[in-house]
Amino acid sequence: MKISLNWLRDYVALDASHDEISRAITFLGFEVEQIIRTGAPKLSHVVVGEVLVRDKHPNADKLSVCTVNLGDPLGVKTIVCGAQNYQVGDRVPVALPGAILPGNFEIKQSKIRGQSSDGMMCSAKELGISEDAAGLLILADRPALGAAINDVLPPGDTVFDIEITPNRPDALSHLGIARELAAWFKLPLLSPQEIFRGAIDETAGAALRRDLLTSVRVDCPEDCPLYTAHIISGIKIGPSPAWLQARLTAVGLRPINNVVDVGNYVMLETGQPLHAFDARKLGGAQIIVRRAVAGEKLTTLDGKERVLTPEMLVIADAIKPLVIAGIMGGVDSGVSPDTTDLVLECAFFKRQSIRATGKRLGLSSDSSYRYERGVDVHSSHEAAYRAIDLIIATAGGNVVGPGFRVGSDIPWQREIVVTHDYITEKLGFDIPAAEMRAAFEALEFTITREEPTAHPARGPAWTVGIPSWRDDLDRPIDLVEEVLRLYGTEKIPPAVVSSPGLLADDDPIVVFNRRVTDYLVGHDFHECVNHTLRPAKEIAAWVSASAAQELALANPFVEDQSHLRPTLVTGLLESLKLNQSRGVAVTHLCETGRIFLERDGQNVECASVGFIIAEPVAQRTWLKSNRTPIEDSFSAKHHVAALAGAAGIDFGRQPLAPSAAPFFGWQEGHSAAAGNIAHGWTARFGLLNLATVKSLGIQGKVYAGVFAILPEKITGDSSRRRYSDFSLLPAALRDIALVVDATTPSSEVQKTLAKFARAAAGNAFALESVSVFDVYTGAGVPEGKKSLAFSLVFRSSERTLTDDEVNAVFQKVQDEVGQTTAWQIRK
Amino acid sequence: MQDTLTALVAKAQPEFAALTTRPEFEAAKARYVGPNGELTALMKQMGTVPKEQRPALGKLINETKTRLQSLLDAALAQIEAAELQAQLGPAVDATLPAPDIGPGTYHPLTLVREEMCRILRKVGFTVADGPEVETEYYCFDALNTPADHPARDAQDTFYLPATAKFANVSKQNPEEKYLLRTHTSSVQIRTMLKGEPPIRIVSPGRVYRRDTTDATHSANFHQLECLYVDKNVTVRDLKALLDYIFASLLGKDTKTRFRPHYFGYTEPSFEVDLTATHLPKVKKPWIEIGGCGMVDPTVFANVGYDPEVWSGYAFGMGLERLAMLLYGIDDIRYFYQNDVRFLKQFA
Repeated sequence: MKISLNWLRDYVALDASHDEISRAITFLGFEVEQIIRTGAPKLSHVVVGEVLVRDKHPNADKLSVCTVNLGDPLGVKTIVCGAQNYQVGDRVPVALPGAILPGNFEIKQSKIRGQSSDGMMCSAKELGISEDAAGLLILADRPALGAAINDVLPPGDTVFDIEITPNRPDALSHLGIARELAAWFKLPLLSPQEIFRGAIDETAGAALRRDLLTSVRVDCPEDCPLYTAHIISGIKIGPSPAWLQARLTAVGLRPINNVVDVGNYVMLETGQPLHAFDARKLGGAQIIVRRAVAGEKLTTLDGKERVLTPEMLVIADAIKPLVIAGIMGGVDSGVSPDTTDLVLECAFFKRQSIRATGKRLGLSSDSSYRYERGVDVHSSHEAAYRAIDLIIATAGGNVVGPGFRVGSDIPWQREIVVTHDYITEKLGFDIPAAEMRAAFEALEFTITREEPTAHPARGPAWTVGIPSWRDDLDRPIDLVEEVLRLYGTEKIPPAVVSSPGLLADDDPIVVFNRRVTDYLVGHDFHECVNHTLRPAKEIAAWVSASAAQELALANPFVEDQSHLRPTLVTGLLESLKLNQSRGVAVTHLCETGRIFLERDGQNVECASVGFIIAEPVAQRTWLKSNRTPIEDSFSAKHHVAALAGAAGIDFGRQPLAPSAAPFFGWQEGHSAAAGNIAHGWTARFGLLNLATVKSLGIQGKVYAGVFAILPEKITGDSSRRRYSDFSLLPAALRDIALVVDATTPSSEVQKTLAKFARAAAGNAFALESVSVFDVYTGAGVPEGKKSLAFSLVFRSSERTLTDDEVNAVFQKVQDEVGQTTAWQIRK
Repeated sequence: MQDTLTALVAKAQPEFAALTTRPEFEAAKARYVGPNGELTALMKQMGTVPKEQRPALGKLINETKTRLQSLLDAALAQIEAAELQAQLGPAVDATLPAPDIGPGTYHPLTLVREEMCRILRKVGFTVADGPEVETEYYCFDALNTPADHPARDAQDTFYLPATAKFANVSKQNPEEKYLLRTHTSSVQIRTMLKGEPPIRIVSPGRVYRRDTTDATHSANFHQLECLYVDKNVTVRDLKALLDYIFASLLGKDTKTRFRPHYFGYTEPSFEVDLTATHLPKVKKPWIEIGGCGMVDPTVFANVGYDPEVWSGYAFGMGLERLAMLLYGIDDIRYFYQNDVRFLKQFA
C-alpha cells in the first residue's frame, strides 16, 4: 500500500527524516518496498525569472547568453544557458549562487567559455521534480518574478510503498500507519476533525426524502451484520479540489470526481470502504442486501459482465443488482456527472463472504482487499461521517435525515491478561515494566488493571483492553510481539547458542542420499538437480498410460510441468541434451530425489538415485579413442549394485528380469530390472532405447541406472558385522565350458553348476566360487548357441587339496551336467 | 682340470653377457649348469680324480659354480631390465591433458545444504526428512493456516486430484486433499507427532509453488528449516542461533537482524536480514535471508504438546536464495539446467 508522508502528517507531527521514518516502518513490522519522492524538494536560492534577452554565446554554438529579470530586489542577471526549448518572455526557475540542487550540486558565480554567468536556469530534472531533462521547466502560469520556487511548485511529497502483512488490516490506511508511527516516535495521534456528525438532525426522520430512499433491507445479516446508508441531497459533481487530487495521485489513484474521490480518500484514510449510489437510479427507491439469484448478471465498473451465483452477496434495488457487495459497483448505479442526490453506503461485510465471491469471480478491488482481511467493525460510523464532511465540503449538498441503519454494532470487548514475567520469559531478556506498559498505551491499548503478581519482584500483571481494530491480538503471546516491536528487535541482546546434544541420528534417507551422492561423485559423475514436474506424454512414453493418469496434478500451471516424475532418467537426459546442444562435453550425470511410482492402483513416493553415462560425442582428444574407458551396461550394473548396497540390498543375490515393453525408454535385450516396488525397492540398468534417445535429439548411446526405494524401507543399518574365518591354504581351480542356448542367462548356468559342485564336494571341502570368464559364439559353436566358460574354485580350510580328490568332484559335476541338462560340455 | 674350469668361465662370460631373451638364457644355463651341462659333466669326473686332490678340486668346482651362477644372475638381471624397458615405451610428456572426464562434482544446492547441516549438527541438530507429497493437514491445518488462507489457494499450491491415493503418505483425515508441500514445515509437524520433545531438527528439502518460472522463481525449489522445542526457549535463543549460523557460514563479523513479520505458525515472527558485505553482487547493506519465530502455541496444541510447558523456535530459508547470495548466481534457472560449465564452478 502506498502511504503519503504529507497525508500522514495530518495525524502525527512527524519531523524525522525519510530514512528514519522508513526504518521505523520496517522495524514496526511492515516492509518498505519503495520510497517514491514526488514534487520539488526544499530548495533555497531558486526563484522565478523571466528571460528578457537571449543572445548567442560568442564562443560556443550551442550556448546562449540570457538576460533574466528576477524582479525586485534581485534585479536583472546574466545567465549562460545550454537549453533550446524556451523563448524570450518565458518564466523559468533560476538557481542563484548558494543554491544546492539535488545531487548536492552547488550553484556558484562562474565563467562559461569566457562569459560570466550569475546562476543557472533549470530543468525539471535539475530541480528533482521529475525525470524531464529535455529543456528548461517553463512556468506556464507565469508566477510572480522573484518568488521562491517552492511557493510556486506543488509541494513535494514522499510516498512509502509498504507491504502490509495479512494479520494487520488495520494498517491498510493512513490513520493505521500514523498510529504505529505515533507509537514509535512517542508522538500524539491526531484524529481528523468531525464537522457534520453533531449537525445531523437525528430527529428529522428518515421519511424526509422518500422519493430518494424508502427502505433498506438486509436479507442475509450473516454476511452483512451492519449496513448504513445516508442520503446527501443537492450535490454538484465536479473535479475534486487540488489538495484532494494531489493526495490521491501521490498514492497512485486517478482522480475521477469529487464524490468518488472522497470515497477513495476516506477508505485510504480510515481503511473503511464506502460506496456512493446515485439516489435517482435506485429502482423503487430501495436498497436490498441479498444473495444473487443464479444467473443474474451485472456489468461491473471494469466493463465486464459478471454472471452471479447464489453464494454471492449483492446490493440491489427493487429491480436488479447494483453492486457486488464490498467488491465492485455496477456501471449503471454509480455517480455520474449529472448526479445530484447520493446514497452513501458504509457497511460491514463478513470477510469470508467477500473472499469467496472475489475468488469465484476472479475480481479484486481496494475495497474487497480490505474486507477480505477484515475491516474494523467499529469504523463505519467514523468513516461515514468523515465522508459526509468531505462530500459536503467538496460537492456541496446537505445530509437528509439521520440515515438508515440495519443491523447493530458488533459488540467488541477483548481483554488479555499478561504479566511482565511472562513477557520476559518469552523474550529471554528484560525490558522494564514501565516500558512495556508504555508500549501498550502508545498503541492505544487500554490498561484496565495493573496488579502486582505473587512474586512482586517479577513485575506486575496487566489487564490489557484490545481495541476493535486489532482483531489479530487475542493471547498473551501476541502481546509479547507488540512489546518487542516497540522496544525494537534490533536491540535483542546477543547470546551464545546453547547446544545440548540430543543423541539423535540423521534420518536414514538423508544418510542414504549422502552416501549414494558421495559414491557417484567419487566415480566422476556430475550431480544434477532437475524439476519434479514433467509433461504427460513423457510419463506415458517412459512408464505407462495409467501412470500418466495417476501422477497428474489437479491444477498444473504449465502444460509441460503437469505430472509427478516416475523416473530421474528423463530429467538427466534433458540435462545431457542441453550440454550437448551447447557444445559442452559431458558423459556422466547423476541425481538423487523423490520419484513417484504406481503400485497396485495407488501411488507411492520413493527416494531415488539415478545416473546416465553417455558416449563421448565428437570429442577431440590427443588420447587415442581406444584409450577412453569402456562404459557399457555392465558399468551401469556395477554402479546400480553399489547404490542398492547403500540401502542395504545385496544386489548380487537379486534375480534380474530383462527389460521388455512397456518400458519403452529402455533398450530391449540390453537392459534389465531387479526388485519390485511392491516389495519396497526397484532397480533398472542398461542401455537406453536408441530410438527414444535419438528422438530426444541426443547423440550417441546412453547407458543408465536407477534405483528407487520406499523411504520407510531405508533403515539405518545398525547390525554389527561378524568376522568369519577364511582359509590360508591354496585353492584348486577347474575350468569348464558349456554350449548352451544363446538365450539362456549365464546366471542360470552358473547357479546350476554351483549346485552340482556343492553336491559333489559334499562335506569334504568347499566350493568357493563359480564365475564365468568367457562368453563365446562363432566357429565351433552352433547357430543359436553360445559357449560359456566357468572357473570353479575349490578350497579346504584344513588341508591342501589333492588333484585326485578335486578331479573326482569335477568329474561328478561333468557327469551331472551330461545327465541332467541339455548343455554340451565343450572339450 | 683347473685350466678346464678356468676356460669354462672364460667362455661363459661373453656368452652370458650377450644374452637378451629368456629362452636364450634358459638354453645357456642348461648348457653350463643343467643336468647335461658342461660344468655338470666336469663334476661327474670328480670320481676319476685321486682322492687327495678331491678337496681342492671340489673347492675349485664350487667356486666355478658360484662364479657361473653370479654371471647368470647378472645376465638375468640385464634381461629383466630390458624387458621392463620394453614395457615402458618412450618417456611421456606429463603436461599433456588427462582425459577430461571428471572429477565428479556436487551440485551447488547440495554443497550449500550440506554446509548448513554441518553447521547445525555442531549445535545438536539432526537432519530430518519427510514426504514431498503432503496433505492439507500437515502442510496447513496443523501449522495454523486456516482453510480460507490465500496460501492454500489453488492459485498458489499444486494439488493432486481428489481421487489420488498415496500409499505411503499418511492422511490425518480421509477428506483432506493431497498437495505438493509448499514448505518443509510439514516435516516439523510429522516429527513432533512422531516423537517427544525436546526436539532439535533441521529439515532441508524440495518444496513447490504454483508460480511463473523466471530469474528468481521456480515451480520447485528448496528450503531448509530448523525446529527447536524445549523448555524455556526464548527469542534471544533464536537470535543467538541465527547469529551463530551466519557467522559460521560467512565469517564471524557477519551480523543478523530481525524485522517483525507475520507467519501463522510462529508468534512473534520475524524476517531475518544479514549483513551483505561478504556477498558478491549485493549492493545493499542488509539482505533478507529467511523467516523465523517462536513456535505458535496453537501449533504445539495441534501436535499434542502442552504450550504451557514447551516452547520453541523455527527458522526457514530458501536454499537457492542462499546459494545465489553466496556464489553470486543471478538466475535461479541455472540450478535446474545442469550446464556442466555451471556445475564445475563450485566443486
